[in-house]
Amino acid sequence: MQNEIAKSAGEIPVSEAVRYNESLHQDTTAKLFLVSSITYFFIVGIVALMIAAKFVWPELLGTVQYLTYGRLRPLHVNGMLFGWLLAADMGLMYYVVPRLCGVKLWSEKLGIATAALWNFIILGAVVSTIMGWNQGWEYAELPMFLDVLVVVAWIMFGANIFMTVAIRKYTQMYVTIWYCLGTILWTAFVYLTGNFAALFATGVNQANLNWMYVHNAVGLIFTPVGLAIAYYFIPKTSNSPLHSHKLSMIGFWSLAFVYVWTGAHHMLHGPISQWLQTIAIVFSVMLLVPVWAVVYNFFATMRGQWDQMRDNVPLKFLMTGVIFYLLTCFQGPMHSLRSVNAIVSKTDWIPGHAHMAVLGAFSFFAIAGCYYVVPKIFRRNLFSDSLANWSFWLFLIGGVGFFVTLWLGGFWQGWQWNNPAIPFIDTVVALKPVWIVRFFSGIFMFGGIVAFAYNILATMLGSSGNESSKMAAATA
Amino acid sequence: MRDYSYPSVYFAYFYFVLLLVGAIFFFLRSVRHGYWGKDSEEAKYRMLKDDDEDSYEDLRRPL
Amino acid sequence: MLRKADYSAPIFVAAALFMFFVGGLLTTVVPPIVDKSWARPFDNSDPAKGVTGKLQPYTEQQLKGRNVYVREGCWYCHTQQTRTLLADTKRSGWRGVDAPVSTPDEFVYDSPHLFGTKRTGPDLSRVGGKYDEQWHRAHFRNPRDLVPGSIMPPYPWIADNEEEFQAVVAYLQTLGRAKNWRPDNDYER
Repeated sequence: MQNEIAKSAGEIPVSEAVRYNESLHQDTTAKLFLVSSITYFFIVGIVALMIAAKFVWPELLGTVQYLTYGRLRPLHVNGMLFGWLLAADMGLMYYVVPRLCGVKLWSEKLGIATAALWNFIILGAVVSTIMGWNQGWEYAELPMFLDVLVVVAWIMFGANIFMTVAIRKYTQMYVTIWYCLGTILWTAFVYLTGNFAALFATGVNQANLNWMYVHNAVGLIFTPVGLAIAYYFIPKTSNSPLHSHKLSMIGFWSLAFVYVWTGAHHMLHGPISQWLQTIAIVFSVMLLVPVWAVVYNFFATMRGQWDQMRDNVPLKFLMTGVIFYLLTCFQGPMHSLRSVNAIVSKTDWIPGHAHMAVLGAFSFFAIAGCYYVVPKIFRRNLFSDSLANWSFWLFLIGGVGFFVTLWLGGFWQGWQWNNPAIPFIDTVVALKPVWIVRFFSGIFMFGGIVAFAYNILATMLGSSGNESSKMAAATA
Repeated sequence: MRDYSYPSVYFAYFYFVLLLVGAIFFFLRSVRHGYWGKDSEEAKYRMLKDDDEDSYEDLRRPL
Repeated sequence: MLRKADYSAPIFVAAALFMFFVGGLLTTVVPPIVDKSWARPFDNSDPAKGVTGKLQPYTEQQLKGRNVYVREGCWYCHTQQTRTLLADTKRSGWRGVDAPVSTPDEFVYDSPHLFGTKRTGPDLSRVGGKYDEQWHRAHFRNPRDLVPGSIMPPYPWIADNEEEFQAVVAYLQTLGRAKNWRPDNDYER
């Protein structure tokens, strides 16, 4: 690619060529991360469908030891969280951070090594979850040697990003950089707590550490890196400046302050000290502050720009993601209240809530990022805008179908549980219609994944017709 | 098991007050230092331009 | 300060870590120090103080069964906590006797902890002693034979592997038995 630019540029001296953004950034790491994450999105999407089907047809593949629910669920969770979402987020950070700093990525070689290691970890995760090498902690199922590799890969990622920030040209850091740095720092400690510190505790104490990790895996890993992406791509795709830099600061620092306290709300009414539950509730309600600060900023950015939602597919994903983020983070504080928790806790409401956060909000952000970034780094036009639009509607219909039925179903289930006169098995049978709708919603979402992955793949492998015309425009 | 619910709630209130005081303090100080002007919002305009080749060079600031 | 966090990466890092560690340490390190009952095994021989009983460490066989339970991901669908909700104490109860709520001192020997976050199947915190070996064997072979409408997967490879099966049943029979809460209604008597 570099050679082609030089050739087409002809007599233009090197210093001149360096001025072009295209030649400043190599983006190999970003490409590798994005390609592999989208592949895992597709593969783990199949697993997701199998799990949803097992709720409706419990005998399905039931006699194959390696394909039971207990093996596929950790594969689904780890595959989606670390194989798809975190890898896609990292890939986007490798694209975004150098651009915001105005310099090349510190070390492209280190980035490529990180991508290779990350892929090794994910493949190891697939094997270990299917084999049942399960540590027994939610979100931290992977065996110890993979945990160690994750830490190594994270240090490699962090070093690369931090060094890029350290050599930046623009001194003032845009919000996206804060969130990215915050993610790297907090993830390191959150991950160590959940996967290593928990080894030295037992019982409730261990559960407390585990839930500090589980909650902050979402709150201090996927939330900040997802918001980093939204803060970059909402202004970029709509070509309108962010509403307020300073408001984003309030959102960031209150998130940094509030999130880490809330782990114990996973054990409300459970065998853990009441005072710790109370603290977790108080801080969970405080979460409304960072969320509303962030969401207001995004909506205010779009003021007067909403008409762009008609045909700007990345922006559709982004703003729908913002709405899902708002809803998720309204649910969160509300069902950490003891009275609400007594109904919804441990019901199917919970997967509805979790999927809206991780799929509805953060995956939508990452998908939008991919749609924006992939044509740029491969220097081609997107393969098909209408297919992209189709993927959006498939995700949206599938997603809303999934979330809404699980909330209603979960609430209903919770009411039934609270009436001890109803035998437990009746509450299982009663939920069958809900699980059928969930399965068909899953088919829609999987259709969205297929449309998205195919579109990206076709863009990467697409004809070079657009490329030459864009090159010509750039050199003219 | 002793119950620490009330102490923990009072602690949370105390913490929020601390946070609020800190926020007001830093807000006033930043106003006094002139941070509250247009300059501090510069980052959000610049990030829109980093793909724009023509103005790319001009927007770079010295370290 | 605001400007510094905006312009200086080192100050930013220090502030972000400070925010994190205040909450992080106070919610993870402090609670077990304040609440000793998290680490003290349940032991009560005085009926005046409530339910009597003593928490026993797991035997080797029970631990083996527990590992199978972890491996197969049973804990994704079965919680192990009788919460402070009336309905939970009734659902965990047996033949008209309400179960006591779970307390931290009953789980001191648990690692990994198996409290669970999702209750697709019934809670198992007080299941020990309720069903005998024969019931469990039939249930592992095909849950729907015993509980029509159940969506639990069949586990023939556990039912057919005598060693694993005995271990899992041995583990299941320990659940919730630290507290002697139903002296007269056990199948074992």
